[in-house]
Amino acid sequence: MSNIITVNGADGKSYQYVDDGSPMQGGMKDVFFSPDRSYVVAFFRDKQDHNSKERLNNIVNTFRERIFSQAGGEYWQDLFCWPTSTVEYNGRTGIIVPVYQKHFFFTTGYNPGAAQLNASIKGKEKEGKWFASPQFRSKNFKLHLDKSELGDWFKFFLIAIRISRAVRRMHAAGLAHSDLSYKNVLIDPCTGNAAIIDIDGLVVPGKYPPDVVGTPDFIAPEVMSTLHLQKNDPNRKLPRIETDRHALAVMIYMYLLYRHPLRGGKVNDIDPQKDEELSMGSKALFIEHPADQSNRPKLNQVKPTHLPWADITKIPYTVCGPYLKALFDKAFIDGLHNPALRPTANDWEEALIRTTDLMQPCQNPSCDQKWFVFDNTTKPCCPFCGTVYRGQLPILNLYWSRKPGSFVPENQRLMVYTGQNIYTWHSNRNVFPNERLTADQRKPVADFHLHNGKWILINRRLPDLKDLDADRVVAFGESIELKDNQKILLSKEDGGRLAIVQIVSA
Amino acid sequence: MRRLPVYLLLDTSGSMRGERIEAVKNGLQVLVSKLRQDPFALESVWISIITFDREVKQLFPLTDLESLQLPEITTPESGPTNMGAALLKFCEQLDKELLKGSAEQKGDWRPLLFLMTDGKPSDLADFRKAVPMVKARNLGTIVGCAAGAEAQDSYLKELTDTVVHLDTADSSTLVSFFKWVSDSIGTGNKSVGTSEDIVLPAPPAEVHLIV
Repeated sequence: MSNIITVNGADGKSYQYVDDGSPMQGGMKDVFFSPDRSYVVAFFRDKQDHNSKERLNNIVNTFRERIFSQAGGEYWQDLFCWPTSTVEYNGRTGIIVPVYQKHFFFTTGYNPGAAQLNASIKGKEKEGKWFASPQFRSKNFKLHLDKSELGDWFKFFLIAIRISRAVRRMHAAGLAHSDLSYKNVLIDPCTGNAAIIDIDGLVVPGKYPPDVVGTPDFIAPEVMSTLHLQKNDPNRKLPRIETDRHALAVMIYMYLLYRHPLRGGKVNDIDPQKDEELSMGSKALFIEHPADQSNRPKLNQVKPTHLPWADITKIPYTVCGPYLKALFDKAFIDGLHNPALRPTANDWEEALIRTTDLMQPCQNPSCDQKWFVFDNTTKPCCPFCGTVYRGQLPILNLYWSRKPGSFVPENQRLMVYTGQNIYTWHSNRNVFPNERLTADQRKPVADFHLHNGKWILINRRLPDLKDLDADRVVAFGESIELKDNQKILLSKEDGGRLAIVQIVSA
Repeated sequence: MRRLPVYLLLDTSGSMRGERIEAVKNGLQVLVSKLRQDPFALESVWISIITFDREVKQLFPLTDLESLQLPEITTPESGPTNMGAALLKFCEQLDKELLKGSAEQKGDWRPLLFLMTDGKPSDLADFRKAVPMVKARNLGTIVGCAAGAEAQDSYLKELTDTVVHLDTADSSTLVSFFKWVSDSIGTGNKSVGTSEDIVLPAPPAEVHLIV
């Protein structure tokens, strides 16, 4: 029997939910849909003490306003599924949470063959685990996802950028999520969208302590290794911003490489539970550690459906490009047991965005990943399908002017392909692509094409675009042919950049 | 990637005949289809089912969810409930099927055992012999389920602290029990509290968890 129950929110509004006796169950809450399915009412199974209620109250009011009511606040609506009110009913505390956007539910789900097993996930939430585990993209696994659900590698960069951005915003507001995991972040590889959910566990350092330690795979080593201590023991480590940074690094690694950075072949204890505590805790070791190779995955022990992703020699983390390699090193080598050294969410956001500028579409139309990061060699090759790039491959190396007339390199480049655009954050180093961009800044300012066998750049909206070699101003709508070593001024403004063209012939 | 072995020991004695066994079969279908919607389970859960009446049968050894096919389950007209023999069989199969860890290879997770009965063991001597053997095997969780009015909790409590009592053994209750089992299997993937060990999810409303 389904009953519609009406409850009063602390915000003075009334809310309804359908109680059919079998709510969806999360780790802490029972979740009921509203009759029109526009929001859910999620009740905590455990009684919430005064402190927890106050925290919830702050989450739906103060913290929410801190993030949403500022300039650019609109932008966060899509990145967070933030609770809007608290309710009390029959002695139970609940929260009102908007339902997830449509693209976070599977439209197809499994491949058509799954019908033979009577298995279907159509309409289910796209929790991240589906996309972080290699077997669901392996054709040798009967229950693999349909190709239409898997997106391409570029989309996973967009997902990672959005997650980093959302975490950066929370941290900037002084909040730690405390339980970042693929369960609490929904992603959509079809569109590159991501949203953080389950925000009710927010930790405010010094004010509200966490009530979860996290989810296996994402718990930081220092939290794992002090699990056995009492909660009030001064040596006990609980979730905070630094542990979010660990979880974020793990998540980015998993979404780009479909394997866990710490789950390798090394056995730290014969007992599985103790081994888990050590391997994720005090003995945690990066599977791709350059010097200590003792935790390399043992390929004779991994499931065949986990290949090729489990093979770190075939697909090493360096395929993610130089900026991300440096951050993975900081996160899983330097900062693994030294939380202060972990990259911030802002570091990840920047490095991911700069890496997208290095991406090149794979020329093999049936490549699963469709994109790869240019490896800075004269023989570029897709590391996923092995297809060698053929033809002329222009690259723009970007420089900026510290003082008028002299330009210095800044380790930033832009790969050229048909359909690639220049944006203001390329032409001017003072612009950064984030939520603060104006609508005008989001539009491309110039674009690249392979025209009659020659690479050209067409100017759309760059007032100062100039071919310095020919000393020619390129007006709107005019084009410029790209040649090796050519210097192109993108902008004369403060922070304006110069591009030097490099052409790789492969 | 470690496997999570899950053993289901199901009473198929005469009293289960009719609606109850149909409900169990239905419940198993629900269990498998729920687990097939859980990416965590699909990566690690392996299931084996042992039935017991006069005879003890392992319907299939540990099998991953991808390959698993539920076989027909039959019940005799009457006869004893050889729960003790089933537990002995379980120990024997577990010793054969469990991949133990070594210094070179990660083994399986600690196995989970779910035992469901609507009566009590007829082979008490075997039952008493089996209980310490099961306990010595360092399982992750043992859940006893006493279904229906005639089911006796007391024997199950010798085996485990976690006994679920279903007041009625009708089909919706049994199905909700199997749903709960699938949630329990998935617990390893949920957020872990700061103060306690990993706990089982709250049982559905019709079920009493006797601790």
